[in-house]
Amino acid sequence: MTTLPLRGDHGAFAIETLGLTKRFGARAAVDSVDLRVPTGCAFGFLGPNGAGKTTLIRTVLGLTPASAGTVSILGLPQPDQRVAALAQVGAIIEEPRFHRHLTGRENLAVAAAVRGPEAEGRIEAVLERVGLSDRAAERVGAYSMGMRQRLGIARCLLSDPALLILDEPMNGVDPAGIHELRRMFRDLVDEGRTVFLSSHLLDEIEKTCDAVAIVDQGRLITQGLMSEVAGPVKNTVVIGCDDPERARILLGNHRAVRGVTTAAGRLHVQLVSGNDAAAAVNRTLVEAGLAVFHVEPERVSLEDRFLEITSRLGVAS
Amino acid sequence: MTAHILSRMVSAEFLKLRRRRSLLWWSLILCCLTVPVVYAVLAVLHVTDAAHYGPAGGAENLGHSLEALSLLGGIAGVMIGATAGAGDLGAGVFRDLVATGRSRLALFGVRLPGALALFVPLIIAGLAIATVCSILLAGSLANPSATLVLHYAAWLLVATTLPLILALGISSLLGSRTITVGVLLGWQLAAGPILGQLGFLGRLRDGISVLATDRLLPVPSGRGGDVAASMPLAVALVVIAAWAAVALGAGAWRTRTMDA
Repeated sequence: MTTLPLRGDHGAFAIETLGLTKRFGARAAVDSVDLRVPTGCAFGFLGPNGAGKTTLIRTVLGLTPASAGTVSILGLPQPDQRVAALAQVGAIIEEPRFHRHLTGRENLAVAAAVRGPEAEGRIEAVLERVGLSDRAAERVGAYSMGMRQRLGIARCLLSDPALLILDEPMNGVDPAGIHELRRMFRDLVDEGRTVFLSSHLLDEIEKTCDAVAIVDQGRLITQGLMSEVAGPVKNTVVIGCDDPERARILLGNHRAVRGVTTAAGRLHVQLVSGNDAAAAVNRTLVEAGLAVFHVEPERVSLEDRFLEITSRLGVAS
Repeated sequence: MTAHILSRMVSAEFLKLRRRRSLLWWSLILCCLTVPVVYAVLAVLHVTDAAHYGPAGGAENLGHSLEALSLLGGIAGVMIGATAGAGDLGAGVFRDLVATGRSRLALFGVRLPGALALFVPLIIAGLAIATVCSILLAGSLANPSATLVLHYAAWLLVATTLPLILALGISSLLGSRTITVGVLLGWQLAAGPILGQLGFLGRLRDGISVLATDRLLPVPSGRGGDVAASMPLAVALVVIAAWAAVALGAGAWRTRTMDA
């Protein structure tokens, strides 16, 4: 599952690593990772605690040197073109940290001073965008975690980035805030930016992202478009009716059915083809006098997929 | 990197320090408020018992008050330098600044001018207050000459900014403001002067930073003892420069090489 067709105009990935490895002594926190983050999409980066997500981000950004492998950001090889690449990147690593004795606006001024004069001119606009204009004169020490997350995103936006790397941006944000952030991330993608979201909130990643990678124990387990990793299971429907056992017997020899199982009072029916077969199965059940109250394509959620992968690894190790 | 970006980064460093209220107040008290209080006490003593207590001002008392100011200002310098050196690390924003792609050496380099922008005006204000007091309260004593005041000013700046520089470099190296303040105050106020009294160390004592700065005093004081008095001026300047260079070099090296 490595086919990721989304590329920018220049043909490069937003992030591309080849054999990226980061060792701490004998332990490989990141182990020969080949990651490809397409441009212009929201990309979810998933993994259990200690999987190596933050270490990989820190290595990509050059905050710690790689033990082996190569990194390119927006097509620019690292660390050779680090300055040019990072000028187009906004990042939150682990959690947004600030000088607590400074106000939100002053913290942005400090970051903008390092970025350059264009960034200084964006301070008010980014505060407005994350909804902190009214609280920008307050000390960050008085901010909630959710406000700090939003201020962190504002700091990322100071550079008008082509790529945002956000490590657990939903942490500490209330449901309404999560909804706002999700919408903001989609807006950022609509503007042509790439949003790289590292998170353990599988549901949020599934709702927000177009593509996803899963890491565990420092290794990249899978990556691909969200529809490839999670979503409808091909030619499989879930049927609810008033007599599942009789329905199972009826469909056992049906020519449109490849296989049928029951779970939690529902039939999981593998079809030989798509919609026509589903309609034929439904017709058969109705004509047999069964009350069919539920027919939908079977879906595998990102959470199912994630748990399947990580638990399989757990058994293997 | 343009001069504009550099100046904005220095301003940001200054802002980070200036907005620390407790640091600002303590620095203000140490540099500007203690000296007039001492002069006021001396003046009251002189007024109430002129037979035992001479005028509070005059050139000699200026020297004494500035020696006290060098100690207190040195403490303020250590606090400001340590905060400037470890502030970003302590707040956890260093990695965010590194992730902008800006050179780590530039991030380190702007700390010193930012710290000096806060500290130097305070210490100059303290010097000005002491000078005014010494003139106003001179009474029958000789006023300090302009040359003497300028000489004291040069010495005072060196004697108080060196601890600031040491603190900045060491806190950048250690990443800890608290440890740096403890170590440097111990060195400045206790270890350095005590080592200076150990005769068996001979000329090795020339390497003690506190004694090297005392060599620059316009009027030799008892504090530096024979070592400071007999130290060649060039040696004193080299020792001071070496201490500053080693501290800043260590801080720059650590800032450049540490995991962010």
